Amino acid sequence: MFKNNYFIDFFENSPIIMQLVWVFIVMIIFFIMTTIAYLKYLRSFLRKNENLKNKIEKEFETAVINYLYAGNEIDEVSFEQKSIIDQFKSNTSEPFKRDILISTLLKLNYEISGEMAESIHKLYIQTGLLDYSLSKLKSRKWNSIADGIRELTLFHVKEVQDQVKIHINHPKTEVRIAMQLYLINLFHFDGLDFLNNITTPISEWDQIQLLEALQLNSNQRVTSINLWLKSTNNSVVFFALKLAKIYNQYGVRDELIALLDHQNIKIRIDVIHLLSYLNIIDAKIILKNKFNELTLEEQIAFFEMMENLYEIKDKPFILEHILNPNFEIKFSALKILKNLNIEEFNCFKNLTLEPEFVRMVKYIEAN
Amino acid sequence: MISIIHFLFFLYSFMIIGSYITLGIISVFETVAYTQKNKFVNYNKILSSNISPSISIIAPAYNESLNIIENVRSLLSSHYANYDVIIINDGSKDDSLEKLIDAYNLICVDFLINEQIPTQPLRKGIYKSTNPAFEKLIVVDKENGGKADALNMGLNISANKYVACIDVDCLLIEDALLKLVKPFLETTDKVVIAAGGVIRIANSCVIKEGKLLDVNLPEKMLEKGQILEYLRAFLLGRMAWSRLNGLLVISGAFGLFDKKIAIEVGGYDTNTVGEDMEIIVRMRRFMEEKKLKYKVAYIPDPLCWTEAPDNYKTFISQRNRWTRGTIETLRKHRKIGFNRKYSSMGTLSYPYWFLFERMAPIVEVLGVIYFAYLIFYQQVRWDYTIAFILLAYLFTVLFSIAAIISEELTYHQYKKKGTGFKMIMIAFLEPFVVHPFILYAAIVGNKDYYFNKKKKWGAMTRKGMTKA
Amino acid sequence: MKKIVLAEDNSMLSMLLKFRLEKEGYLLLIAENGKETIELIEEHNPELILTDIMMPFVSGLEVISHVRNKLKNQTPIIVFSASGQEEIVLKAFKLGATDFMSKPFSPNELVNRVKKILR
Repeated sequence: MFKNNYFIDFFENSPIIMQLVWVFIVMIIFFIMTTIAYLKYLRSFLRKNENLKNKIEKEFETAVINYLYAGNEIDEVSFEQKSIIDQFKSNTSEPFKRDILISTLLKLNYEISGEMAESIHKLYIQTGLLDYSLSKLKSRKWNSIADGIRELTLFHVKEVQDQVKIHINHPKTEVRIAMQLYLINLFHFDGLDFLNNITTPISEWDQIQLLEALQLNSNQRVTSINLWLKSTNNSVVFFALKLAKIYNQYGVRDELIALLDHQNIKIRIDVIHLLSYLNIIDAKIILKNKFNELTLEEQIAFFEMMENLYEIKDKPFILEHILNPNFEIKFSALKILKNLNIEEFNCFKNLTLEPEFVRMVKYIEAN
Repeated sequence: MISIIHFLFFLYSFMIIGSYITLGIISVFETVAYTQKNKFVNYNKILSSNISPSISIIAPAYNESLNIIENVRSLLSSHYANYDVIIINDGSKDDSLEKLIDAYNLICVDFLINEQIPTQPLRKGIYKSTNPAFEKLIVVDKENGGKADALNMGLNISANKYVACIDVDCLLIEDALLKLVKPFLETTDKVVIAAGGVIRIANSCVIKEGKLLDVNLPEKMLEKGQILEYLRAFLLGRMAWSRLNGLLVISGAFGLFDKKIAIEVGGYDTNTVGEDMEIIVRMRRFMEEKKLKYKVAYIPDPLCWTEAPDNYKTFISQRNRWTRGTIETLRKHRKIGFNRKYSSMGTLSYPYWFLFERMAPIVEVLGVIYFAYLIFYQQVRWDYTIAFILLAYLFTVLFSIAAIISEELTYHQYKKKGTGFKMIMIAFLEPFVVHPFILYAAIVGNKDYYFNKKKKWGAMTRKGMTKA
Repeated sequence: MKKIVLAEDNSMLSMLLKFRLEKEGYLLLIAENGKETIELIEEHNPELILTDIMMPFVSGLEVISHVRNKLKNQTPIIVFSASGQEEIVLKAFKLGATDFMSKPFSPNELVNRVKKILR
């Protein structure tokens, strides 16, 4: 009792700042104790969860594989399959187990195609997982929506496209890309129609995903990309350029040449590379004539094109640039010169003693 | 007079505590947003894509003969479609090169280097493998010039769009490149100039065939203390700075850069021991001065595991170097500090680094000296002293526990039973067992910086550990 | 019974293929990474090797290179690749791969090819 009083007296007699400090100390001690208790709970919860997850995962994996091999030619769903479906159904009401089941199905779904993949899609519908995915689309949380669309994509549920397309202009990029991937994975080139209207940027990362999804398709008939090349949305133009390259679209030659005057420098450079890849020699002539108006980066890209498309009549132009201050251009010019006319290359190779030039000549001679 | 001194000490302590709490809270929000966003990213789909941008891994090696074969093999098995591995043998005096030639069927090749950044010259030349299975590998043998110089050579040689600068003894998780390149590719409204991830400590972990098999908590107090320190710094600090776009450092152990910009600013500075911080500050400064919108990205995934010093001697010399690196960088770029022209970097990051990273050890030592003075003149109010020390101590402990909890909630790497208790013990002990050495190293670092210029130059040859 | 070594790090796919191929009367040996694969090959000298290209530590390419160059062995090898890895597949053929299948693939199709090779 005495002790207690001493502390209270001491506290009351301290200046306000010290009182504050003591209050803080007591608060922090309280926080530390609660956080330690929480940490203990959290760790054992996580550990239990993980063990349980591993166990269920193993069970589900075996069950899925049994299901795949339990089919017979007579029934659409064999007796054994029916019992596996029922077992899964009893589990899907728990979100924890439901997520594990979905990831188990996906683990295989990513790797196989054909009849077995179709059986997995069927299993997804029969176990009632489809309904859960559809209900996610109506969620208010963006990550649930994206998640739902993703599941519908992976299990190839084509019938619900209207419910998915609603999200075309969702403010979150993650939802938009989920929707775009849905359209492309399920409808391939026809799914690309959304490019006509999209006003939001498609990031480089998402473009790669879309192209990957397109390439999975065995039907490689490209729809017309002209419109996209003229899009006011620069990311759509970039995307169309990638399509043009992957699917060798010689048909859009004029649109590409027009893009050489686009106001975005990165587009102009990509177009130069693409024109070179498609061997469009007219583009070379156009660029050669306005070479001095180009930015350095474009000039470098142009010389890469030149290495691919040079002709004997380009020689005077090439000679102008064997002393270009830029490393890449100088190197390109020298290489082209050697290929055009080895005697003339030998003639000019002692033009200067500048060390970089000498190194280049030596390298080109040896290779 | 006395009360002014007291007031300044209080103000400083409260500002530090306040900034820690603020950063911690921002970090938590940012981490939650990140995990939510990336929960379902299918990295497998993209890693195989040929359209993905090209990356060069640049790994300087100095006398690494012991593990070089394994380390290179681990780098070669990264999960990414479009990358190469450039090993810079920085004038090693051991048989690293011979071992590499042997193990990977290397032959010397003709190679034209665009010397955009001046470096030490080649020694034996550039090697590539005759075996198509190792086509990604380029080995460069050059004269010794230190880590920065070796990295610059790598920048000159790389033909790729991005460069990942790493320590050769680091263990990268398989999809590290993919995860780190994502911020560059998904940002549409700014240029990402560099990106970094979390560095974890590999001491006592089981690593076999380039793969992390088992995560363990080491036994030594020093190692455990560093683990806690890294958790605090990476989970509760860096993430917030990334949100504020105020990161001034990306660990030299593993960072990804836009090669063009890195070369445009002149590459790594060979005159500092803190080249990893210095290049970020310089790249940022360059972007600010050009008035371009940019970002230094940071992701909370543990991408890279590295060995931390396990004895006090190495530890102190490592921290000594970090201290000098920080001072050098901040001094070199002092124009930025408190300068509104450099937006948040000038008004937020630089002042924070200057006041709370660079000055903290000095303020702490001044505090101790002042306290000793008070004891000597018997002017100590012990009740005040005890209260304040207790407050500071308990706050540190609470902050450490918060770091442990956020680790549990995000990546939960230390799964073993009993580890939780050990971690809490470290949280309580670390301020006594590890902190004094950090303080000591920082003071020696300051002393070396100002009074021992020779050391500054003498320490140029590369040492294994880089700043986390 | 003809022995097949299967190198694949997705446990479910390897289990599925094991069931499927063992039903056809082959003996399956399963490895999860390149190093295990090489060990299994050296120990059991299988009639056929199925390997994924992207594997931790020792890649599928290295497995092929090891079999053809170090072991001087002409065992048929089928590689699995993801789409978009055409260049790596070309390299695999250069090193001596027999056939390739692009993921996702149909297990039935794989069985057909295995049967054709081991006939």
